[in-house]
Amino acid sequence: MAARPATPASPKNVKVNSPVPGTPLFGCGQSCIPHPASRIPHPASMGHTVVYPPTDSCVEHVQLLLSTNQETTNSSIQYYKMLLRVIFDKDPIIAQTSKTLEGLITTSLTANFLCLQCSAILSEEERLKHGAKKNHRFYVDSRSGSLFCQFCEDFVWDPTLEDLRIRKMGTGSFSSRKRKHEDMFSDSVKDGMKEEQRYIIANTTAASCRADGLRGIYNAGATCYQNVVLQSFLHNPLLRNFYLGDGHQSGDCQVSHCLSCAMDDMFQDFYALENTNGYTAANILSGFWISEKKAFENLVTTKEQDAHEFFQFLAEELHERNGDGKKPETGSEHSCNCIVHQTFYGKLQNQTTCQSCGGVTNAVESFLDLSLGLENLARKKGKKEPKGEPSLMLQDCLDEEYIKSDKCEYRCRNCSSSQLARRDHSIKLLPNVLSIQLKRFEFKQGSRDRAASKIRTKVQFPMQLNMLPYTTRGQSDNGRGSQELNRSCVYDLLSVVEHVGEIDTAATKYNN
Amino acid sequence: MASSVNISKAGVINAPDDAGSMDQLTHAVLDDLLYNIVHDLLIKVHREEKIARAATAAIRVEKLASDASDSSTPDARPDVKVETDAAVYDEGKVMLKGNPLVTTQDIVCPRCHLPRLLYPTDGKGARKPDPSIIYCKKRPYIDKPGYDIYGQTWVAQGPGRGKKKKDMEKKIDPNTPADSPTPASEGGILGGGAASRPPNMLSFPSATCSKCKRCILVTRLNNHMGSCIGNSGRNASRAAAQKISNGNSNGNGDGTPPSSQKGTPLPGSRAASPKKRDGDDMDEDDGTDNDAPKKKKLKPMVASINVNKKLVVKPKVGAGTKRDKKNDDDDGPTVEVAPKKKITKVPSPAKKLKLGVKPLMSSPLAKSNGKATVASGHAGDDAGSESSGTLSSPPAA
Repeated sequence: MAARPATPASPKNVKVNSPVPGTPLFGCGQSCIPHPASRIPHPASMGHTVVYPPTDSCVEHVQLLLSTNQETTNSSIQYYKMLLRVIFDKDPIIAQTSKTLEGLITTSLTANFLCLQCSAILSEEERLKHGAKKNHRFYVDSRSGSLFCQFCEDFVWDPTLEDLRIRKMGTGSFSSRKRKHEDMFSDSVKDGMKEEQRYIIANTTAASCRADGLRGIYNAGATCYQNVVLQSFLHNPLLRNFYLGDGHQSGDCQVSHCLSCAMDDMFQDFYALENTNGYTAANILSGFWISEKKAFENLVTTKEQDAHEFFQFLAEELHERNGDGKKPETGSEHSCNCIVHQTFYGKLQNQTTCQSCGGVTNAVESFLDLSLGLENLARKKGKKEPKGEPSLMLQDCLDEEYIKSDKCEYRCRNCSSSQLARRDHSIKLLPNVLSIQLKRFEFKQGSRDRAASKIRTKVQFPMQLNMLPYTTRGQSDNGRGSQELNRSCVYDLLSVVEHVGEIDTAATKYNN
Repeated sequence: MASSVNISKAGVINAPDDAGSMDQLTHAVLDDLLYNIVHDLLIKVHREEKIARAATAAIRVEKLASDASDSSTPDARPDVKVETDAAVYDEGKVMLKGNPLVTTQDIVCPRCHLPRLLYPTDGKGARKPDPSIIYCKKRPYIDKPGYDIYGQTWVAQGPGRGKKKKDMEKKIDPNTPADSPTPASEGGILGGGAASRPPNMLSFPSATCSKCKRCILVTRLNNHMGSCIGNSGRNASRAAAQKISNGNSNGNGDGTPPSSQKGTPLPGSRAASPKKRDGDDMDEDDGTDNDAPKKKKLKPMVASINVNKKLVVKPKVGAGTKRDKKNDDDDGPTVEVAPKKKITKVPSPAKKLKLGVKPLMSSPLAKSNGKATVASGHAGDDAGSESSGTLSSPPAA
């Protein structure tokens, strides 16, 4: 079809992924049994059994496609990459529109099949006819990019092609930083790697297959607010890799009652032991009690506390143990290379535009989490929909904070007087793990005294969140088009810490 | 139009024949969306399953190859050609034969190379595993009301504990109502103690306090650390209340009494305090415990409390304002007085906790001698003769 660009000429030979022990080299191999014997309904046909015309006894599969000669391999992989680009980068309508042999053009909601050996886009029924007529055997699912082998009558998951697909889906590009690293270690260095691997195998014990990090933590008496935060730290892949990679070795640490050591021990217990009973976070707790953080002094009590405050406490404490030793100051552009900063800290930009002279001032500050106010939105929503419970989207709250601008008084340097100014907030640097806090508690000014109350407006949050519209780059024009940028701003929901009940009761946490 | 509308894929949501074209279109769109959802779910499972089976086929054939070559070096690739029903091993490369979903029926763990158990052993979809096979330790999670994913169960501490009990169950398994197993096993716990527990029943462990090195039941840990490390608990809350109520007025030293017998300065705060202790003490009693060990614990507690009283005050000095410092200094004498009447007085905070609560508890253990404790407990709370009352009460229980 015209919408497809021509295959770019590439001088570089594409390599099939090198063999890995425990994985077959190709997604499907030769089967000398006539394949109707191996008929199972594939998912796409939902239980319809499709009868194929019998073909030759020895059939080509992905193995043949990728191993006959370099030229075929090159063109197949290049073409597969191009199809993935069409599927994931272009308007989905392109891949979803097919033309029957009779020339009838249909756009379907369900998946089409893109032929890997020619430029045809086919519906499921047409695919069979196309295969019989042209002897084309490989098709790409137009919604997921998965490869379908007509000989297997099944989707196949070839290690090389699947690797490309996952990378394209995840990051928006085929290259990965890791690949360069692998190339660096080719051939001569590889022997060294093997040596190292043998050393690792000889000197370590593999963790049990049972230890997968799913354990509870005992409530040591109103410590639920700590447990939820600890659980979400435990299942944070960056923190997990840091601690399991000996990022902070409790054996070498001299600090007594170090919270980072306690975290290290806890990660070990969760990911290396076979225990499935609850974990007793005694060291965390005592480190918490002993800690002399003045800012969080009021946290140290035997009553229930705010999980968010504990999150801030823990993050700052771990930063101090692992980072540059400087105390993080709120509002500053402080940044260091510690694990906590790499994981949680991003940067906010506040742009103030003077309304009279048009002068722009930028202020950048780092943030640990985004706080979103609910109060105003909930009130607005409640007015608009007086019936039923109002419910908000998380994106609504983000829009309010980072897309809409507000007005403020400020002292302009150019005008040297107090002026009305417009303030725009945007995110300059997104963190690797973004934590968003919904400000659910407000102080109500009652007739007698002030009482804290909870805003109970429901806020719906998606499993995937694209933060591009709220970033400084996303709001400028040049940032909008890039697919890679777009995809790098997509966050998957990792954990939810939810406050259940009245203002001073338990919190619950769900893990995805 | 009509022809395209009719080919909705799932065929689950069908418009009635006499429906208008808009109706038909809507039904077809919904039907297609449903199809897509099911398709996506299926393809995800299909991918996991097929890759796992392909890996299984590869692991098996590699094992055969390394057995056949019997070379001593582990990672040298044996250049033999081995073939199974599912795969071919040829010079270090593994090729699949046919569809691994057909040729390979089970899944081998890629890490430990033991077969995976494919069905849960309990709950929904359970099957009996083959006892002759050693399975990989990663097992399918169990889906059974009242049990967690590992098939462990949980019993809240004693009946009638309302909120606490609900919270405990929630923590173990937030998705199940978890009502069914509780009443039956509860009786067993209270009657027979630990012996009658089923093997998969979780119980509260103990942990060592990093400061005083004593073993504390986990549910008490936070409270213990509050009084042992931090300056929380009775005195801290009083100090805080004092700070708030006094505002900036300085110099009333007896306002924050560190020792308990002099404490409870305001009738209001005292009225509230038993209630609070009630909550605290719920954690303390784990139902299987009787009072004899508690009595034994008393002595070390005396010692530690005395030591801590002084230590505890100090961090507060650093933490608080200058006014606090002055207060604490004023309190100093009262702390130091305490050791003199060591046995009679100082145990009282620990003791009193128990006594204050006993009558409020509805557990059978407490009920059996409830009357006696009520009397002595109240005496302890109100009058100065608390020391004798508290000492006599544990044997009674």
